[in-house]
Amino acid sequence: MTASRKTKVPSRATLHALQRLTAGYTPALRQQVEAAGGFTRWFDRQLTGGYDDRWYAQTAAWWTSVNATPAQLWQRDRDDVEGLWRADANYQCWTLARRIGSQRQVLETMTDFWEHHLHVPANGEVGPFRTSYGKTVRAHALVKYADLLEAAITHPAMAVYLTNANSSKRAPNENLGRELLELHTVGRGQYGEADVKASAKILTGYRVGLWTDWAFSYDPAQHWTGPVTVMGFSHPNSAPDGRPVLAAYLGYLARHPATARRIATKLAIRFVSDTPPAALIGRLAAVYLSNDTAIVPVLRALVASPEFAAARNVKVRTPAEDVVATWRALGVRITRAPRNGMGEDETGANEILWQTTGLGLAPFAWQRPDGRPDSAAAWSSTSRFLASLDVHYTLAGGWWPKQGLAYPAARAWLPKKQVRFAALVDHLARTIHGQPASALLQQVAREATGCRAGEVITPKHRIVRWEMARLLTVFLDSPIHMTR
Amino acid sequence: MTEGSHDCAEYAGLSRRGLIRGALAVGAGLSVATAYGGAFVETSYAATRSAPAVLVVLSLRGAVDGMSLVVPHADPAYYTARPRIAVPAASLLAKDSFFGLHPNLAPLLPLWNAGKVAVVHAAGLPAPNRSHFAAIEEVEDADPGSAARIGWLNRLIGRDAYAHPLQAVQLGESVPPVSLAGPQPSVAVESIADMRLSGADKWDTAGRRPRSMRTMWSGVGGPLGAGARSAMQAVADFGPVRATSATPANGAHYPDGDLGRALSAAARTIRGDVGAEVITVDHGSWDHHSGLGTLEWGEMQRMATELASALAAFFTDLGPLGEKVTLVTVSEFGRRTKENANYGLDHGFGTAMLLLGAGVRGGYHGRWPGLVDDANADLTVTTDYRSVLAEVAVRRMGASAAQVFPGFQPEAVGAIV
Repeated sequence: MTASRKTKVPSRATLHALQRLTAGYTPALRQQVEAAGGFTRWFDRQLTGGYDDRWYAQTAAWWTSVNATPAQLWQRDRDDVEGLWRADANYQCWTLARRIGSQRQVLETMTDFWEHHLHVPANGEVGPFRTSYGKTVRAHALVKYADLLEAAITHPAMAVYLTNANSSKRAPNENLGRELLELHTVGRGQYGEADVKASAKILTGYRVGLWTDWAFSYDPAQHWTGPVTVMGFSHPNSAPDGRPVLAAYLGYLARHPATARRIATKLAIRFVSDTPPAALIGRLAAVYLSNDTAIVPVLRALVASPEFAAARNVKVRTPAEDVVATWRALGVRITRAPRNGMGEDETGANEILWQTTGLGLAPFAWQRPDGRPDSAAAWSSTSRFLASLDVHYTLAGGWWPKQGLAYPAARAWLPKKQVRFAALVDHLARTIHGQPASALLQQVAREATGCRAGEVITPKHRIVRWEMARLLTVFLDSPIHMTR
Repeated sequence: MTEGSHDCAEYAGLSRRGLIRGALAVGAGLSVATAYGGAFVETSYAATRSAPAVLVVLSLRGAVDGMSLVVPHADPAYYTARPRIAVPAASLLAKDSFFGLHPNLAPLLPLWNAGKVAVVHAAGLPAPNRSHFAAIEEVEDADPGSAARIGWLNRLIGRDAYAHPLQAVQLGESVPPVSLAGPQPSVAVESIADMRLSGADKWDTAGRRPRSMRTMWSGVGGPLGAGARSAMQAVADFGPVRATSATPANGAHYPDGDLGRALSAAARTIRGDVGAEVITVDHGSWDHHSGLGTLEWGEMQRMATELASALAAFFTDLGPLGEKVTLVTVSEFGRRTKENANYGLDHGFGTAMLLLGAGVRGGYHGRWPGLVDDANADLTVTTDYRSVLAEVAVRRMGASAAQVFPGFQPEAVGAIV
């Protein structure tokens, strides 16, 4: 084969950036980048809303609950139409579907990042508010952290989750006041217990009718008044309505240098490595502060950094990332929405959630407020590894899920009617991984199939007729696919 | 005693298998081949050995209120600080002049009466740390003098030359705990059914699948490479556990839920005798900022029931095998003395640790510091949790306290014989 006839791949640098900033490589993604005039222009269009968002609206219509108001969700629960936990499960399914097909890959990637940073579980725990919370985070995902923080902390989902909903001036509940400092902004080492108590006092006043009507309100009679000091923030806090004080306090926290470092560190862990260089964190924090918490300038600086370019294939994909990337790599298409807009039927758009659960964690199913871990050590356990292999093989065979999905036919993986095995392996590596097959991958493919390098593969070969899954799973089970 | 004798026979059989394996290990040296699922898996670990003693560490995640589980009924401040959620003295079980157990721990009474349950109250970290995440790191790392992220259980299984991924097994949760982090291999699986290699099926008669996967992953660095190799090794050597019945023995009945499932899997793993010396299980959340509740309603009465039923079922299931199994509970910290406005308790300091099973000296241990009814008052820690764990590690597992808890001088607690 001459070079020109080989399946096209992006440059190594572009491939690396796409693996970090999207839900996984596909040939269509390469074409999108090419059509934009290269990676830099593509990234710019992604950051500025230059790609259409139809997939978001289209997939939202698949589940009735995704478009319902919190009041409607509660009514559906009480009418035994669909429970609140299932509405949250629908939300989880929707986020997976979005990542699979969205043209706004960078927006979906950053929405996922912030939803984990400002984590609220999607397991029915926060009543009817989780879907609304996710949409709120997405609306701010590429704008300013100061605005995102205020929207998240004052959202009823957060109030319910971290028990601020029924905190009172008589006994301020410290849960949200503490996690706001520890997890969402400045991090440990910046504040003491007196700061936590003052933080809790500032947050008092919000009410939610837990398991009654879920009405969300602000009751000035429940707001603790009097002077408050948290770190360098002080306020007389004399008015019964404490919301302006809270807004000022959140603005202070969002713009604190320790918050800048914390956000920079988390971004660097997400997009560079589990142990990002301190110099990079310092530079990103400075960009964050000098742009008044705007997110896009920080992302631009991150992606342009030599540290980013140097860190290839060192991030282990989380369970959700693995499943979504596998659907993308195999070109699995969702052809039918769940029946009646409900989550209970067995269409692929619903079953993908159980696949993800099987790998150890569904999206936003993490049980603690710190959000799912983002390290290789957390996602390299026996269970995770074996479950990933199981999902890869099952999807490669097109065995489950079955309903409402289209898998490419086995023969569609052949680049032409007749091809030598080694050339087929190279074609598959270029299609699935976006890069040529290494000698090691060639060897593994031969061992997995019993084929010789020069063996001629036609649609009638046993590999194509019965055993394509044994070959495809080699690519999915490789370190290249299981990392990003 | 028919049930008992059945178990004794089974126990003897397992021990014999352990002996045979031990002999194999001596003869086979470093490279051992194990048949699995029609495939032939070559390993570089020693064969598994029989675990002479087993330590189960149950982590009550979210910071459990030790004073609800083990109530200091003779401390008046307990009742004044908790006008709504205190457990009434009249309802307590196994009551002595000072302490009593939450009535929903009733399923533990047979074990308690047999002297197989110990409580160490007012235990915890040496200094308050009210962050869940930082505290659990500190509890499970248990080596404040070192920046290396190596857990105390990883040091425990590193006490001798034996190294095998199945030596320490986390069950019920696939994200490994900090306590197992470190150089010694370990395994984290949600369930026993997860321990199989896809594609290594009856049609893979030539063993292509395991061989090709070994080729792919043998030179891969980092946690994922190590995890992949551990996984393939563990699958190969886990056969005896898969072969055990999934039905609990001795009529044991586990409660529904993650805890029951994980402890049931733990019992099978012990019965399978694959050399698992350390088993970790996480349960929670016990982070009861609101709705901890009363005896009539709330999370504490519900979760205390689940906890006690699952622990009782575990030791029933183990039968005579329980004679080598010690279970200890840990939690990142305890909760505030005074209740909050939401029938809950905010983050505190000291808590109660439970020890069950082999070697346990039953009853209440620890020194009570006395409570203060003040908005910010804690249960002060009088026993460093490491003293409790060290007693188990030294007396049950034959480890050196200095190795498992570097730089720490344990005090005698007396909870282990």
